[in-house]
Amino acid sequence: MQNITRLFSLVLIFGVISVVAEVKITVKGSDTMVILAQRWAERYMAAKPDVTIQVTGGGSGTGISALINGTTDICNASRPMKPSERDKLKQRFGTRGVEIKTAQDGLSIYVHESNSVQELTIEQIRNIYAGRITSWKEVGGSNEKIILYGRENNSGTYVYFRDNVLLGEDYSATMQSLPGTAAVVNAVTKDKNGIGYGGAAYGKGIRELKVKADANATAYAPTVENIKNGDYPITRFLYLYVRNKPTGALKEYIDWILSDDGQSIVSQVGYFPIR
Amino acid sequence: MTRWKQSLPYMLMLTVALPLLSLAQEEPATKAETTTRQELEETRDALQGLSDSFAEYRGIVDVLRKIKISGYIQSQYRSTDLVSTPYAVGAFSGGAFPTNSKGLFQIRRGRLKVTYDNVLTQYVLQIDAIPTGVSLKDAYVAITEPWTKSFGFQMGVFDRPFGYEISYSSSSRETPERSRLFQTLFPGERGTGAKLFYAPQLGPLSMLRADVGVFNGSGPSALEFDNFKDLIGHVAYQIPFDDIGAALDIGVSGYLGSTRSSSRYIYEAGTIANGAPGYGVDSALTNVSRGMNRHYIGFDAQFYYDLPLLGGTILRGEYITGTQPGLAGSSTSISALPTTPIYSRKFTGWYAYLIQNIGQANQLVLKYDVYDPNTDVAASDFAASNTSGATGLSATDITVSTLGLGWIYHWDDNVKFVFYYEIVNNEKLTNLAGTSSSLSIYSDDVRDNVLTLRTQVKF
Repeated sequence: MQNITRLFSLVLIFGVISVVAEVKITVKGSDTMVILAQRWAERYMAAKPDVTIQVTGGGSGTGISALINGTTDICNASRPMKPSERDKLKQRFGTRGVEIKTAQDGLSIYVHESNSVQELTIEQIRNIYAGRITSWKEVGGSNEKIILYGRENNSGTYVYFRDNVLLGEDYSATMQSLPGTAAVVNAVTKDKNGIGYGGAAYGKGIRELKVKADANATAYAPTVENIKNGDYPITRFLYLYVRNKPTGALKEYIDWILSDDGQSIVSQVGYFPIR
Repeated sequence: MTRWKQSLPYMLMLTVALPLLSLAQEEPATKAETTTRQELEETRDALQGLSDSFAEYRGIVDVLRKIKISGYIQSQYRSTDLVSTPYAVGAFSGGAFPTNSKGLFQIRRGRLKVTYDNVLTQYVLQIDAIPTGVSLKDAYVAITEPWTKSFGFQMGVFDRPFGYEISYSSSSRETPERSRLFQTLFPGERGTGAKLFYAPQLGPLSMLRADVGVFNGSGPSALEFDNFKDLIGHVAYQIPFDDIGAALDIGVSGYLGSTRSSSRYIYEAGTIANGAPGYGVDSALTNVSRGMNRHYIGFDAQFYYDLPLLGGTILRGEYITGTQPGLAGSSTSISALPTTPIYSRKFTGWYAYLIQNIGQANQLVLKYDVYDPNTDVAASDFAASNTSGATGLSATDITVSTLGLGWIYHWDDNVKFVFYYEIVNNEKLTNLAGTSSSLSIYSDDVRDNVLTLRTQVKF
């Protein structure tokens, strides 16, 4: 009996030690959020050396799949989960997942800095990306063909833009899909007839167009004030998803992300805090 | 002035020397520049070459990404209590045990599925390869309209749109097999036919899904054997309660179909000659080629709750009632032209699951299902006097319930182990105890419990 008690105690102590010693959190998903997530992780790990946070991108869809497969603890997503994705999570884990809004982002429309077009309506953007407007002349620019750049279909930005700007329509077949918003910005920088879309954090070095909700509305640039006020018409939330209501180390980390300290990093990276 | 004169030769020398010096310096600089320019051009050409190759391969990869290959293998060991019973033990628990065998290893499912997903059009082909043969499971085309992307059309062999358990994949299901109810009413789950579906992805209606289709009614692989087509439909709605970490999904299903009688004799619940409960026979000549009603209505609900500190809890239930055309010795749906008379029975059945996730890797399962193939008779109606002959009651009319207890361990996202024990209980026909009736074995519970130990690998 004594031997059993000793063995049990050893197993218990070993278990407690291994739980206490190793706190590892995996984060996967949105490429738009990958820099933000890395900054969060770096700051948090500096303050809590016993916690290891591993951040990878791959796109919102990839992150959500990893959440469903159980291969990540946190999923970063720049779009809400789809009903079909919620279904898969429900079937496997019995939950719809917990959605946490962590930041706001204005989706910018980029053109080459030499482009004379200054603003577009949502409808014009929709018609451009659906392939119905094909020349810059049709929207007040020069008589040049519009070259479309966008994201790949595993990207939350791709899905958000399609669902909210194109209202569910398909992108034109001529759009060149690029891996990451940085690649979109890079392509537009080199193409004087190019147009692209992406997060404000990637908008350095090219010109961001003003956007208006309709032809009679005021055009707004994707500035902090305009996005926070809700004036800029293409804004979205950036989410964290976890399978269950967070507890323990995971809860502490998410609470920290939502704290003043965590939200200050949101501003530093170029997004907009939710608090 | 003297100093100026003294400086003059030096100034002249400088005037001549400086341009010469700069020329001398310019020469090597131009060479370096030329070399650098050449190297840059070579690099640019190489990059352009890589870029062209990338674009070419990207085009190929984009096409290949639309093709998805998936599959899973379920290998298992099963054991039961008893062999050589009057009926096939384990028939509803992964297949009947061979005579004289109380335990066996088997490959229950060996699936390979190929999907070509072009967003609005889908091609799906799935086969099941096991030692007894290769069979077709799915073969269909699905097309979604491009305007609202909410309505779609599907045609081929696919899951019949009835209830919840049919379309819940065998690779995901927490129990080794579907309920006896579904195995009886929808053997093979699938049917050959066409359906329309409404499944909006955006807005408040994204919580709704509706499917309605027309099917041969003969099951997944059998050819059509009559001129009747069956109408099957299911409407489901999801109600999330995110504030409390819960969700409720509800659904209603309907089946309106017919099965052709080849005989003038049709048996329905009634009384036999001595007045005891049994079957009455209708022998009108017009019964040949008559369509016998196959009508079901079903209700399903699934409740999900994120139990703090433990994991998700799932409560799942389904109830179906209706009229089932079967044969004398079986109430399973008919899949080939019947050569013997049809027995029409009113039935009812239901199941309930409780699944508790414990952390990420473990799931505990409790399931109870009941199938009453003939609601017009109770256990007390069985007697030695009415359990023989064509109009008498048989084992087909006995209600069976199954209590299942299971533990699932998810090794990783590909591999899981299932430990599942089914306690199968038949109605106790106490009136037949000690009689010579062939059904006397059912005067007590038949020892036909089944233990399943399964390993599944999925990719």
